[in-house]
Amino acid sequence: MSERQVSLDYINSIVHDLQKAFWDERGKGARFRVTTVGRDYFLSKCLPRIQTKEVEPIIEVIKQVLREEGLVAEVSHQIEDKLLRVQVRGCLHVPVEQRLAARGVEPFTCVPANLVVLAIEEVLDRPVELAEIKVEDGGCQILLVLFDSRPTV
Amino acid sequence: MPEQYDLIQAAVKIIEDRRSIRQYTDEPVSEQDLRMILEAARQAPSGENAQPWRFIIVTDPATRRRLGAIASGGSGRRFTAEFVTQKMQERFASLEDEAKRKAAFEKLTSGQVSAFLAEAPVDIVVCGRKDVWDLPYDTSAAIENMLLMVTALGLGACWVIAPCIDIRDEERLKDLLGVPEGLKIVSIVAVGHAARYPRPRPRIPLHELVYREKWGVPYYENKEES
Repeated sequence: MSERQVSLDYINSIVHDLQKAFWDERGKGARFRVTTVGRDYFLSKCLPRIQTKEVEPIIEVIKQVLREEGLVAEVSHQIEDKLLRVQVRGCLHVPVEQRLAARGVEPFTCVPANLVVLAIEEVLDRPVELAEIKVEDGGCQILLVLFDSRPTV
Repeated sequence: MPEQYDLIQAAVKIIEDRRSIRQYTDEPVSEQDLRMILEAARQAPSGENAQPWRFIIVTDPATRRRLGAIASGGSGRRFTAEFVTQKMQERFASLEDEAKRKAAFEKLTSGQVSAFLAEAPVDIVVCGRKDVWDLPYDTSAAIENMLLMVTALGLGACWVIAPCIDIRDEERLKDLLGVPEGLKIVSIVAVGHAARYPRPRPRIPLHELVYREKWGVPYYENKEES
């Protein structure tokens, strides 16, 4: 593993520029093309730790990984019927969302949210949709919708 | 006796008569008509003449049901997300009839709005090669050509993006149809004989769309105001 370090500012400026370029190309449709961002990370870091078939413990595993890997400082969640609300503070990538929001672009992708979505879809085959990312007071309020099952033929 | 049109009248009629048809009879689409539709697609403009479009004709009922299920699932997820964030309610704010609003919300959030791919006799899956510059533009031109030919033939069609706008659904489609990595599934065009011909959808007037020389200076006068 390389010991070379790069600054987080550099990484976030590049991630921002890529997201902004994609937004400029695809507009509101961009969000649907980035729903699997983080999949390789999920498969290597998260999936091996998931030993359950219940939603709550799956989300807890993702929260542990996010904290232990230093991707976020704090993460909490609540489930209300079909709605899953996730609060994230101290995310490594929040400057990306803040810069996008400052330029009038509604944030449209979020790695912590994608990890939750990927986990529930992979383990339970239940569809999940990221509905909203709100940047507030230096943190993010994420709203997801949990579906019971996929439409079948 | 068939109606007679000159070339301009025929072009205007075909453009104006085109509708998004979502209900079909059981009558199959003839091979002759299908060939005309695909020939129209093949004649579309293409950057560098790359012709990146490729087509998969799906008539097998089981596969069409899978397409309908994937489309329905995608639409249901997206519209439910729009509903829970109140954006759908904002979009339908001008619809005052409460029963109609509720029915529209139910149709959208359930995903049933896109399930008709299962019912159309033919689903044309439009793919595009990624190793070209103009994939989305070229394939969209091909699709519009198909829709106009469908209208000229007296058939009905609907351009459906629901089963492939989200990359997760596109991956399911590619698995189902064996589409290789070097291609993107752009859309599906459902084709059949219309069981219902809807009224035209409202269009934004030209005076709100067209500017003179630079952005913001209307090209056309708003005659309703003068």
